[in-house]
Amino acid sequence: MAVSATSAPVPAPARFDFAKAEGNGIRDFLRTFAVAVRLGWQLEANWTDPLLFFIYSVAKPVSSALILVVMLEVIGGPSGRAFRPFVVVGSALWSFVVSGIAGLAFSILEDRERFRMLKYVYVSPSDFLTVLVGRGVARVGVGLAGAAITVAVGVVVLGVPFDLGSVNWPLFVTVFLLGLWSIVAVGLLMAGVVIQTRQESWSYPEAFAGALFLVAGAVFPLAVLPALVQVIGLLTPLSWWIAGIREALFPGGPGSIGGAGSVFAGAFGHAQPGPLEIVLALMATGAIATLGAVAVFRVSDRRAKQAGLYDRTTGS
Amino acid sequence: MPPLAIEVRGIRRVYSAKPAPVVALDRVDLHVAPGEFFGLLGPNGAGKTTLIKILTTLLLPSAGTARVFGFDVERDTKKIRRIMNMVAGGEQSGYGILTVREQLWMFTQFYGLAGGDGWRRVDELIEAVGLTEQRIQRVSTLSTGQRQKMNLARGLLNDPWILFLDEPTLGLDVSAARSLRELIVDWKRAVPGRTILLTTHYMAEADELCDRIAIVDHGRILAIGSPDELKRRVQRESIFRLELDHLDGGVATLVRLPGVVSASEAAGAIDAATRQTVVMNLVLEDDGVLGQVVGALARTGSEILGLRKSEPTLEDVFVELVGRGFAESDAEAAGKAG
Ligand SMILES: Nc1ncnc2c1ncn2[C@@H]1O[C@H](COP(=O)(O)OP(=O)(O)O)[C@@H](O)[C@H]1O
Ligand SMILES: [Mg+2]
Repeated sequence: MAVSATSAPVPAPARFDFAKAEGNGIRDFLRTFAVAVRLGWQLEANWTDPLLFFIYSVAKPVSSALILVVMLEVIGGPSGRAFRPFVVVGSALWSFVVSGIAGLAFSILEDRERFRMLKYVYVSPSDFLTVLVGRGVARVGVGLAGAAITVAVGVVVLGVPFDLGSVNWPLFVTVFLLGLWSIVAVGLLMAGVVIQTRQESWSYPEAFAGALFLVAGAVFPLAVLPALVQVIGLLTPLSWWIAGIREALFPGGPGSIGGAGSVFAGAFGHAQPGPLEIVLALMATGAIATLGAVAVFRVSDRRAKQAGLYDRTTGS
Repeated sequence: MPPLAIEVRGIRRVYSAKPAPVVALDRVDLHVAPGEFFGLLGPNGAGKTTLIKILTTLLLPSAGTARVFGFDVERDTKKIRRIMNMVAGGEQSGYGILTVREQLWMFTQFYGLAGGDGWRRVDELIEAVGLTEQRIQRVSTLSTGQRQKMNLARGLLNDPWILFLDEPTLGLDVSAARSLRELIVDWKRAVPGRTILLTTHYMAEADELCDRIAIVDHGRILAIGSPDELKRRVQRESIFRLELDHLDGGVATLVRLPGVVSASEAAGAIDAATRQTVVMNLVLEDDGVLGQVVGALARTGSEILGLRKSEPTLEDVFVELVGRGFAESDAEAAGKAG
């Protein structure tokens, strides 16, 4: 038998001013975003532990670039040397992709299971999506440091011919920003997925980022992949982003999208996409990724509220 | 008519779980007025946290409606979040790498305070909860009790109209729990109209703090009332423990008096052979009968050495309602979980 209570008739004091329940629109949004970036920076950058920062953001991409360069040297000999810029850029961008895509997903898992703060952030009036995007941007910022150092090592140690004067700066800035946007979008998609999973799934985001990286032409051109996989690669904003950065930093160098016998060449009738094509393709695929990510996130949020996942911990 | 602080109608919540779905809340109705200190008292697994999660917009109900100050938990989530806050116990929460100030300030931003106002509010609350010495210490270095004080400060950052406290003293040692309860009471008293919904499975805590209590078990509210009302439910008579230097004529003298339901010598109080005093349990129809009893005793020349009213506890209320004790209920819940 359920009992319903009769409430004690205490009148609400005048202090209840319902203006309190209203938000401040864009100002709230900016505040939330700024503090989320700041939190991400403090939590994710491992600034307090320079060794960790060095290992994850510098040593990993630099060593993978070195390994690839050595392999190139062994396989291709002197002719492989033309591919060094290709390899260095690809490896440098890796730390970006991992920190952006996997990092955003980790924010959810960490906040929920390690810090146990997810529910408190969630029940605050801040927009949860904005908080996550802010955290993601901070992660990407950390990745930027690693990427810049890797490129510098490539230029100084490996003698990759890099000429600041010949860099296509407008293309670089455009592609860079669009790429950053796309990475955060894909990261959000991943975050939407891990809301539903448990802490044992720590490895999924990294595995996913790794798989994306392979089909995105980071370490080898798309043309070597089966046609179906190439199509997946072409639909991924990361492919266009990496291609754009390469084209901007080393204009006319080896590309990853097209080439003889590639799906791109077959469909568009020329070997490699030009800068404009790259930007347009990046915008289109980035927009699709964004819409997809927001949709997945919304569905996931709803499901999490239905199933009570925001405060769950592994084993509960 | 101002809206109720909490208005829950026919809330039901079912979790899909492995062997069979779990009904965590079953047609719960609840009204809490602004300014009340309301308690949900029940054993582990009763559904207390589930109700708090629904009211704090963390979880959707399977059926029914719930409103907080008139705002619907499903449709007006942002509005509810601005006027309420929540603090849970029994967990170590916090961004360990941040300082106490930094972490709290971060939340002022989530609550839309301007930067400088945020720092001011943080420092005020840090002082109010007694963490001034720890304010620039990392969260990871705080003791459990200090963390919970910080957590409480976070819960007060937006000056909520209603504060949801889910077993806030769980896992704290006795003195940390007491000091947290004092902070909660002080906060509530400072401004009329502040409302608290507290869940607990400590009877004494509910008894001490709450204006009204709902006793919950297996997803249902079994009784609602002030602690005194609830206790009166189980015991309509007044029970006294009476100690006399002697009683001529034995307990029969008292039983003859009008309004005395029963009088019985308390067993085992003092060894019979060396007995110096008489101890008895006296059940009266109501407290008013006591005067006649005292008068009668004076006439027989007995001296009253001690007189104490024995109060029923909320535990007695629970046993009467459910037919088993709290401890057994907890054991049962633990058995199910394991
Ligand atoms: N996410 C969940 N999935 C499945 N069952 C759950 C979940 N959360 C709680 N329950 C079950 O619902 C019941 C009520 O739980 P809860 O609201 O946490 O109780 P209380 O806070 O009173 O201890 C318990 O039987 C518990 O095992
Ligand atoms: Mg609970």
